[in-house]
Formats: sequence, C-alpha cells, structure tokens
Amino acid sequence: MFGFRLAKRDQALPGGQVLAFGIGLIVALAFGAVLLVVAGHSPVEIYLKMADAAFGSPQAWSTTLTQAVPLGLAGLAVAVAGSMGLWNIGAEGQIIAGAIAGSWVARLGPDLPGPMLITLMLIGAAIGGGLLALGPAIARAHLGVNEIITTLMLNEIALRTVRYLVNGPWKDPTSIGFPVAPELPEQAALPTLFERADISVLIAAAVLIVFGFYAARSKWGFELRIAGSSEKAAEYVGISLKRKILTVLVLSGAIAGLVGGLRLGATDRIVEGVAEGWGFAGIIVAALALMRPSGVAAVAIAFGALRVGGVAIKGQGVPASIAEIIQALVLLGALGAAVFTTYRIVGPNSNSGGDATSRDMSEVAS
Amino acid sequence: MTAVELDGIWKRFPGVIANAGASLTVAPGSVHAVLGENGAGKTTLMNVLAGVYRPDEGTVRLDGVEQSFSKPADAIAAGVGMVYQEFRLIPTFTVTENVALGSAPAVLSKSSMEKQVGELAERFGLHTEPGREVWQLSMGERQRVEILKALWRNAQVLILDEPTAVLTPNEAAELGRITATMAAEGRSIIFISHKLDEVKTFCDEATVLRGGKTVASSLSVDDLDAGRMAELMVGEATAVSQRRVRTTVVGERVLDVDNIIVHDIHGRAVVNDVSLVVGRGEIVGIAGVAGNGQRPLADAIAGLRQASTGTVSVTHTDITGMDARTRNSHGLAYVPEDRIGVGLAPRMNAIDNAIMRNYRTLGDGPLIDFGQAESRAASLIERYNIKVGRVDQPLAGLSGGNLQRLLVGRELDDEPVVLIAAQPTRGLDVQGVKAIQDILVEQATDGVGILLISEDLEELFALSDRLLVMHEGAVVGEFDPDTATRQEVGAAMAGAHASEGSAH
Repeated sequence: MFGFRLAKRDQALPGGQVLAFGIGLIVALAFGAVLLVVAGHSPVEIYLKMADAAFGSPQAWSTTLTQAVPLGLAGLAVAVAGSMGLWNIGAEGQIIAGAIAGSWVARLGPDLPGPMLITLMLIGAAIGGGLLALGPAIARAHLGVNEIITTLMLNEIALRTVRYLVNGPWKDPTSIGFPVAPELPEQAALPTLFERADISVLIAAAVLIVFGFYAARSKWGFELRIAGSSEKAAEYVGISLKRKILTVLVLSGAIAGLVGGLRLGATDRIVEGVAEGWGFAGIIVAALALMRPSGVAAVAIAFGALRVGGVAIKGQGVPASIAEIIQALVLLGALGAAVFTTYRIVGPNSNSGGDATSRDMSEVAS
Repeated sequence: MTAVELDGIWKRFPGVIANAGASLTVAPGSVHAVLGENGAGKTTLMNVLAGVYRPDEGTVRLDGVEQSFSKPADAIAAGVGMVYQEFRLIPTFTVTENVALGSAPAVLSKSSMEKQVGELAERFGLHTEPGREVWQLSMGERQRVEILKALWRNAQVLILDEPTAVLTPNEAAELGRITATMAAEGRSIIFISHKLDEVKTFCDEATVLRGGKTVASSLSVDDLDAGRMAELMVGEATAVSQRRVRTTVVGERVLDVDNIIVHDIHGRAVVNDVSLVVGRGEIVGIAGVAGNGQRPLADAIAGLRQASTGTVSVTHTDITGMDARTRNSHGLAYVPEDRIGVGLAPRMNAIDNAIMRNYRTLGDGPLIDFGQAESRAASLIERYNIKVGRVDQPLAGLSGGNLQRLLVGRELDDEPVVLIAAQPTRGLDVQGVKAIQDILVEQATDGVGILLISEDLEELFALSDRLLVMHEGAVVGEFDPDTATRQEVGAAMAGAHASEGSAH
C-alpha cells in the first residue's frame, strides 16, 4: 500500500528465535502494564507476583512443571509432524483417545500392581492416540487427503465418543446426578515427585530429551528434515515419502495419546474434558519452537509459567480478563516477533525482489 | 496500419537483461510467430505486451496508439489477451464460470450466460460444453476455455505461449483452424513456438528473437526453412567456447539405455523409444529445445520416474527395477535440472546437503556421526572451492555457482561410474560455467561416463564426444561435434527430418 513490505531474509537471523521471544515478552508486558495501571494496580508488583508464583519456590516450580508436561508433549506431537511439513491439528482428539485407551486398560486389569498397571496404561494410551492418527495418516500417504482436515474432524469424533462412554457404558452406577465414570484403581495414580508434581514430569522430560536428540542427530530425523525441506529432494535421495508420512503421523498421535494417559493421573477418572484444550495449546507451543522438537521443552516451561502466573494474579484482585489478556499478548508478541527472524521490512524504494512481487500480484489479478 | 507495434523494448532484471531493444510488428488479421531459443526473451516481451511487466525503455502501440500498461487489467481493457502455458483456470468451476469470472454482469442468469458462452464458442469453432466443470476437461479443452476467456473480454490481440506443447497432434490441428477463424475476423494472433512445421502451417509471418534482440522481423513463413530458422535462432558459430580436447580413450559401455518409453499423466509418450549408450570416459551430449523429453529421460534413467518400457544398465548390471537410492549405490550419479528443491534442500545447511547421498553410511547405528559429516562437507568445500558463509546456515543465501559446485561435488564424492548432468551450467555466470565445465572434463578424463543434457549448443559442441538431438521425445539425430555445424544440429532441434541433418 505504502510500498513497505516483507522480504525474506537470505539467512535466518542467528539466535533470532530467542531474541524474538524476548522482544515479544517485553512489548507484551509493556502493553499489559498500561492495562494494569488503568485498572488501578502497580504493574511491577503484579509482574513480580507472577514470577514468584511460577518460579519463586519449589512448590511454584512443581506447579509450573505440571503445566509444562501436557504442553510439552502435545507440542512435541505437533512438532514431530511439523518438522516434515505435516500439520497434526488432531492432538486434542488423540489425547482423548489416549485417555480412553488408558482407562480401558485400567478396567481390564484393576488388580495389577501399580507400576505394571501404570506402564500398561501409558502404553495403551500411546497406542490409542496412534490409532486415531492412523486413518488420517493412511489417507494422506496413499490418497493425498489433507491431514489438517481429517485430524481436525477426528477431534469431534473423539469428544463425542468419550461423552458417550461416560454417559453410557462407562457410567458409574453409584453416581447420582451428573454422570461420571468410576474412579480408576488407587494404584493407577502416578507417584508424587516433589510438592505438587508427579512423575509425569520425569516421563515427559525423558520423552522430550530422547526425541529432541533423536530428531536432531539420527538418520531418521535427518530424513524427516529433508522431506520437510523439499519432498522432491527426499524422493531424489530415495526416501519413501509414503512410509515417512505414515510413521510420522502415527508417532505424532501416539505422543499426544501419551498426554491422555498422563492426564488420567490428574483427573482420577476419565471425564469429558480430559483433554482440556492441551492439544490445541500444543500447536502454539510447536509453532513457537519453530517445529523443532529440541526447542519444545523450553517453550513449554515458559508457557506453563505464564499460565501459573496468570492464575496467581487473579487471586490478587486483578480482573481475570486482564490476566488472560496479558497471557495472550505475550504469545502474540512472541509469534509476531518471530516473523522478523526470517523476514525483514523493505522500504518503498528498494529494488530487491520487487519484480517478483509485483509479478505475483499481477498474476493474481489476471 | 499495424495492430501491435513494440519498439525498442528494454527490460532488465537483477543480473539479467531479458530484452535489449526488442521490437515486434504484427499486422491485423494475421497469425504471427515469435521464435527463439529458451532465454531469448520471448516470454518477457510478451509479458510487456500483456501488461505484466513495465518496460524499462521502449514503446507499446496498439492500432497506432501508444499504451502505458501498469497492470494486466489495463492490457485486457485495451484488447490484449494472453494464454499462458500453465492454464489459469479454477478446476471446480464450470467452463462458463471460468470464462465470465471477473467480468460477469452484476445480475446473472446461469442459463443465459451458458447460452452466450456457447454462442461465442460456436462462432470461433471452439468445441466445449459450457456447463462442465474444468477438472473434467482434457488439456486441449482447457486451452479452448482460456481462449474463450480472452474472446469474452473482446481481445483483438491474442498471445498464445507455446500453445501446442500440451496438445495432441489432432488438438494442435484444431487449434490451427481456430486461430485461422479469429484472424479472418480481423484479430491478430501471436504464436510463440519452437517448432518449424507448425509455424509454417499455422502462421503468416515470423519474428525471431536472440539474446533479447530482434534478429529478424516479420519474415514471411514461406521464406523460412529449417536451416534458415536454426541459423536465426542459434546464430552464427561464435568461438566463445573452445573445443575441449581430451586424450580420452572411450572404453567399455558404462551406461546402456534401451528402448525407454515414458508416459505423462495424460498418457502421452514424452520419451518415445530412446536408446543410447555412454562409454567409459565419454561425454555424450543431448541437445534439444526445452520440453522435448530431456527431463523425463534423465529422471527415468535416475529412477525418479517410472519408464513404461525399456531397460537401463550401468556397467552391464540391469538397474531398471531399482529405486533411485539403489541406482545411486550402483554408481549412477545425477545432477538434476532443478538444483534447488530436488538436488539440494534449500532449508537445510551445507553439511546436511553435503551428506544427503551418503548419510546412511555415516555412523553405524541409527545415529549420524556428525563429526564425520562435517569433515566430508569440509573436504567438498575445499576441493570444489565452494564459498559458504557458515556451514550451519540454510543454503538459501548461496550463489548459483556455489550451489552447483556443492551439488556436483557431492554427486562425484562417491566416485560414480556414470554422471547424468542436466543443464549443469544454466543460469551461472561465466566463471561458474567454466568451473563446472572443468569439473566435467576432469571427471571424463578420469573415466566417468557423462550424459550431458544442455540447451546451450556452444557448451555441447565444446564438451561432447558425441552429440544426440532430442525432438518430441525421440532421438532424431546423432552428430560428431568436430564435423557437424550448428545449423545442422539446430535444424534437427527444430524438428526437421532426421535424414536431413544426420551427418554421421
């Protein structure tokens, strides 16, 4: 319009993602400060409260990490698919499928010893999530059906299925009023690690470290990155794209399913809202990590801290809406600033790439 | 009176001069051919006329009135329509919807629109069904929809960019009848082509471009024969590239291609029964105008594309049933035409790209030994003098010459017996061209058999031991570069009968 436009950088800004996150955070906090002043609060005081609630004590850390577990694993699920250019929008449904499968395992073997039962539940949950992703995976690999649509639609199927189960076959006969599933066996609860955190923190950390490393250093991860960079280049070096799409989407579903299994520990029983939006939050986490599995953990902890801090300041008399606006601003700021790691602003008189752009525009117009 | 007059058109792009004072004059009611090699500036000149580009210098006149187009809509309003090689149709819309898109009356009745489109089609003999959706149509029918689109907007000048490239012979003949009908109504048709026979059949006059300049304007096609056309398109033999003398002894056959046929998705044979051999230490050149089957032939030999019939052998081992990876491990290296996106992965870094062929052998288990990978990359970078800023940054910032040396170097890293090099110097600057040609000559001297596919005749004459010409998917001639003339080869490229040009 005024001649300013974005041009792609020749090379991504080194360390740009961390910088973008920092700048986004500062800009968002500045905007938030204005809102807080208008609402009659001291921004410094409120921001310190947020930081304290997220990181100020072992208890604070345990809360933050507990939030970071589902965020990190759901983010990993999306990023694994994203690193080869696939969009798994169905982590939400795969979490539900994982929770259903985990509950089903617990119903089959209610008398198994704790460690064995928990292990089987988690394996079952991963298989459940993977199975829900299998359909979209086959359709994409063999028929070229857009995985965004299929994974998104299956969220709805998963949600209706869990609703049916807790209202029908799995309804606790002793419950009165609001229908719920019976509680899981006591020994299925995940052991506590410290303060409020249970061992899901260790499980998630292990999965994130192993995958982060494996995706970056293995032949498998290398092939994933070639396919993500250019499908034709992948075919040229003899990578089977069909098999790759199939395994990656199912793996992505399995990781999301694992979240469902771990969430059962937090809810004691399967409930309709077992996924609680974690699957969709995972998309944001993965996007902020630029679809790199190795970057997911740091983003998940930061995101978790923001949620914990946001909840804490609601207790300080700050309107809930302002707390949520600040959270949203930080994400918006970080995602917005991330654009500038790969793009730069070009003025109206610059010549570079101008022909290409005006040509693109005119092709659209023709 | 002239319908179209382009005069002194200059158009520069960063690093390239596409048009250097080109001109074109088209009479009303005529079919006018624009001829030229790839890169001669035909498409740029047509895009200037169609309002896609603004010329840096020069004037555009229609019916004697000077025009200044700032966007394609201006050119359309002035009566210029262009049919691109890649059709711009919406597959899920009907013929009528595509034709009327963007220029329909505010209130429209579907049936009356279909009737109007049908009548317009009838008038020009464009057989089509106005109510059908475009995805159901053949390429020929889609092209007719594109022409209808232009006629619907009342185009007086219609530009057809290599219109027969996607057509069957019958469809091409029908297109000839359609253009004749339009010309009879007083409209002007500009017909971009490489093919002499159709220029002679369909067109009245021809203008030839070379190197962005007009070298012959408004020749009568009756004065045009294969030799004259080739001479105009290719130019006199210029001594830019010295013949590279090698003391090669061509050894045993290392590449055997027997009766390869490749079909495209429309079932046309894009490679039509090609057989060739390459000996140890031999460079076999393949000349041809772009789109005459060179790319599918190279892809089929490399295993990226399925051949319908025929066999490929490397050092007497039949590799026909093998996938691209296995063929590569049998000593077949491939520098594809698209160096970025096929040969190299642009979003990955130099190390990743350097090991793309052999990462499976770097490290025993599932992990890649990145220490070994780095030293591989470092040795390639040193040996082939590749200038990279940082090896851990995406390739996107490297120049074409550096990219190509990385690609060629990587393909040669595992000491192949056969190298297929498709357009290996296209788009490179003089030094870049020389570096790649030096590597090819050095490798041939070391005994690698090279199949060199190029559109640059000078390069082919300078490097090849034998020169094959492809036309419409078939090998139509074989020449000895030491004795053949560029005109003979050019005539074969333009589709003159093989018997005329085959000087063997």
